[in-house]
Amino acid sequence: MWRPEFITFFLLFATLIHLNKGDEFREEIFIKPLPPSHLYVYFQFITVVDEDSNYKHSHLAPQFLLEIMSNYQVDELHLTLTEGQWKHSQWGYPILDAAPGAELYAWFAPDVVDIDNQWKKLSSTLSGLFCASLNFIESFNTISPKMALWPTGATTMKQNVTSHLRYASLPREIVCTENLTPWKKLLPCGSNHGFASLLNSRMIHNTNYHSIGMHVRRICDKNDCLETKLEVKQTVALVYDFKIIYSSDWSFRKLFGQGLPGACPLSSSSKIYVDITSNNTYAFKLSPEPTNKILSVRGGSDTELAVYEINNNNTEMMNIVAKYESPYKITVKNSPPVTFNRYVLGYGKEFGGIVTELTNNYWAPIDIVLLENAPWWLPIQLSTLRINGEAESNLIMSQYYSPGRSRQKPYHLELLIKLPPKSTTTVTIDFEFVFLKWQEYPPDANHGFYIGSAIISANLPTAKNYTSLPITGSTFDSIVNASKPWYPIVLRTNGAMVSLPTPDFSMPYNVICLACTVVALAFGPLHNICTKELVLKAVGTAVSLRQKITNIFKKKIE
Amino acid sequence: MAEANRMWASASFVGVLIIIGLPLWWKTTEVYRVALPYDEINAFDTDSHFITTELVVLANDEKTAAKMAEDIAKAFEQSDIIKLKIRHQKLSDSLRQTLDMVADEQEALEEVAAAFDVTGHNTFHVVQRRHLFQNVWIGGERVAFFRDLKASETLIRALSSWVLQPLLLEGARSLTADDARRVRLPSEQHLDLLMTVVHPRPQKMKVVFDAPAVLEDYVGSFVDELSYLHNVTLKSQWLHLTEFDFQAKQVLSPSGPQWWVSVEADGDEEWELDGRGLGTIRLAAYILPCDVTPLVLHDRGSRVEAAVPAFMSPKWGGVVLLNPSCEECSKGQYVVPVNMLMGTFISQLRKLLGITDKVNIPEAYLLPLDSVSPRLWELDSLLRLRTLEQVTSAQRSLKSLAKLLGEIPNIVITDKVGSYIQSAVQHAHEARVYCERGSLVEAHEHARSANAAAETAFTEPSLLALLYFPDDQKYAIYIPLFLPIMFPVILSLKNLILWFKGKPVVKEKTD
Repeated sequence: MWRPEFITFFLLFATLIHLNKGDEFREEIFIKPLPPSHLYVYFQFITVVDEDSNYKHSHLAPQFLLEIMSNYQVDELHLTLTEGQWKHSQWGYPILDAAPGAELYAWFAPDVVDIDNQWKKLSSTLSGLFCASLNFIESFNTISPKMALWPTGATTMKQNVTSHLRYASLPREIVCTENLTPWKKLLPCGSNHGFASLLNSRMIHNTNYHSIGMHVRRICDKNDCLETKLEVKQTVALVYDFKIIYSSDWSFRKLFGQGLPGACPLSSSSKIYVDITSNNTYAFKLSPEPTNKILSVRGGSDTELAVYEINNNNTEMMNIVAKYESPYKITVKNSPPVTFNRYVLGYGKEFGGIVTELTNNYWAPIDIVLLENAPWWLPIQLSTLRINGEAESNLIMSQYYSPGRSRQKPYHLELLIKLPPKSTTTVTIDFEFVFLKWQEYPPDANHGFYIGSAIISANLPTAKNYTSLPITGSTFDSIVNASKPWYPIVLRTNGAMVSLPTPDFSMPYNVICLACTVVALAFGPLHNICTKELVLKAVGTAVSLRQKITNIFKKKIE
Repeated sequence: MAEANRMWASASFVGVLIIIGLPLWWKTTEVYRVALPYDEINAFDTDSHFITTELVVLANDEKTAAKMAEDIAKAFEQSDIIKLKIRHQKLSDSLRQTLDMVADEQEALEEVAAAFDVTGHNTFHVVQRRHLFQNVWIGGERVAFFRDLKASETLIRALSSWVLQPLLLEGARSLTADDARRVRLPSEQHLDLLMTVVHPRPQKMKVVFDAPAVLEDYVGSFVDELSYLHNVTLKSQWLHLTEFDFQAKQVLSPSGPQWWVSVEADGDEEWELDGRGLGTIRLAAYILPCDVTPLVLHDRGSRVEAAVPAFMSPKWGGVVLLNPSCEECSKGQYVVPVNMLMGTFISQLRKLLGITDKVNIPEAYLLPLDSVSPRLWELDSLLRLRTLEQVTSAQRSLKSLAKLLGEIPNIVITDKVGSYIQSAVQHAHEARVYCERGSLVEAHEHARSANAAAETAFTEPSLLALLYFPDDQKYAIYIPLFLPIMFPVILSLKNLILWFKGKPVVKEKTD
């Protein structure tokens, strides 16, 4: 250990005193019961950072992330790591949907030249930061969606420059504690203070669905939007099953294993929102009493919210409890406007197909964009595309197809479809199975191969079952009475799995052994015939020692 | 005739399998290696490096100049690492008069700088000046003043322990690490400097500190001076609610209760901040929570006397503990004492980057630093140190690699790695030539390239491409084929040789 020795400095500089920069941190929890048997809990942690030229200095935002954004010139970044499948038809729409496994997409700055290289570097860096296998993102599983994804942040570009957008998903990625721990480290309050202290990995991995996310975008500083700020939003979405927590009455203690110790001391606002709309049909009682209640009318659907404002001078743990009055009651399912289902067709190891069923429950037609993203080993042919069984359909308003290339590029199909009211539209596309090279098979190849989710992007005419924030909002208070002509949403279908023709991997070694043995067996007689001669030997000639020994053996055998 | 046929058949089996087959198999399963200059690498002798340095002695008269030059030359004769090229010269009358007239040393320094070129990285001037309070006076420029011939001993000590530092250079080229080498970071062209402000109780106290601006003002001008050695990126971050567990003990002292922490207990904090990573210097300012202030460091029972409690972790960075006062604690607002904090950081940074603390020499006066910038001759010394260190390190890496190649036959040397090794050898050679010639900046450039190339070659992952394909696997595939085939072929050799020699072949009976 070094003893500090100091050189006296007579520093000429004037003492510089400034207050810390205007970084702002807010944390929010949104709880929504999904009757009859689930509970949706959504955390969001928002750090707003002043726009800085190179992000070398950070106050509340994580230094690493700012450096990533500036080094790779990323304009907007979305990363989600998800386990489980959101059931849209049963649970309605989530605030932010995520594909099962890992999903990463980003828009790069307009002046980036070699985007693919930057994309590779970005995914590798994030892979290290979040301990996820994002380094497996290569050109053969990356696409640039043309219609399905739009930037949510403030950009200088008037249009969606899709050449600067890269999207990849890794459906096989398994999300675990090792991803949550580095994610929590990026929060200014760490994992021991504020709402993040509820994210106890033992409890949150015990859910039906959990998704952690990281969304970075630029937002307007003021209404005139002359200056922008960087918004880093970290999210966690959890769906609890009442069967797993053994009761339909929920409380923080049951959900997270502990109460809330208070707000993060660095946050400027810490709020908990509980959606109590379902209280009318499915009554429950909240305790303690919320700070206030808000009624939000948005797009013709009413939402009642109970708001808890949490401050950081709490001396005891806070525990919000909901007690249901009549535990078992059957309710009428209230389907969201667009629901969907996806499955794989076919038998054998030669051909198959992917079917996506899209249902419009609304009374007017809804336009949606469907993005199918098939890996190169699952070639989908545009000629086999059928809408409701017809090759030519007037429901398709626009389409984009980019054929894949073996080991280089995935197949990418985007369709802009007008879904007729109160009906189900079936989109079918066929594929062939491909033989892989022996090194391309993953470990446990017989488990099957995952196909990523399709993306469905829609502008919904109604806000029924819609919980997302408006595009300009970053906190939950922005959803109150936020009626708009339409409500944009990006949804992910369930993934699927196919079983590719898989060889017996011990075969090459068996072949070598067998072939060598056969060759060796054949060689011996061949060599003998070529180089040796059969000679008759007269009886009674002297017997050599060797022959004596062989004779003994011969006798024994006889 | 039939026998001849049989024998030729047997010979052709031998020919195909042993004469063609075996060498072909051997060649095709060989590990790929580019030809390397092994002779040159093995001939590297890191202990023979030396640097030529120029020294100019200027005195009032020819005799003093010659005598002083002779004394210095004699003193440095033994050193094999610094070869001094000494010139001596009489001061011009006008300059001597000016030097006698000006009272202030700093002004005298400017006069010397005006008359001679003191900007050379490898040239140091020793100038006589009669009106000195001490024997020797050294400031921030590449100039030392001495009073008269009696000062020669002091001057030699000052030159060897402050300016030229042959002992330190020897430490750089040898295998054993001296104290300074244990502390300083390894040579890297690109360094990140990350200042972390650790604020464990943001709810209790507001801290007034503009980290980016302060870092830019103090450390920015310091690292600018080192631009030809390192290219430093300044970064800062805040860490909230992170507490170090000091295990502080409360002790009553005359000035009130204090918290004592042993310096040995401080080692673990670096792990909480960030692990060890190459190329990053970490400076951490830890704002102590009010319930453990004032905190003092003690070393085995005695208090460490320092303006601020601080400690350094070698090759990692430094930590400064900031003690808010009682009033600041009760007010809930703390204004960071910027000068004290940054002064401590700079002193830690100097050591981490390789500038040593200067020991006191009686009768010699070293002008204290008046700004954050290092003294010019300190930079030259650092340049010499880094040059030697990098040449030595490059040559050691190459030597180890050559040795490793001899020991582990599975290492692949691709063309790319081969070219790195070639360039490292070339640059190391050039660096040595420039060192001997005394061109420091060029020598450093070459030394850096040599080190970078050698490191890249040594750590290239393609070296290990076949490490997990050991010989027994190679044989496992081929032996099932070769062994049964080779038996009859080798046995037939005996007959073949006998036949070629013209001796009767023993005919074997077969059934």
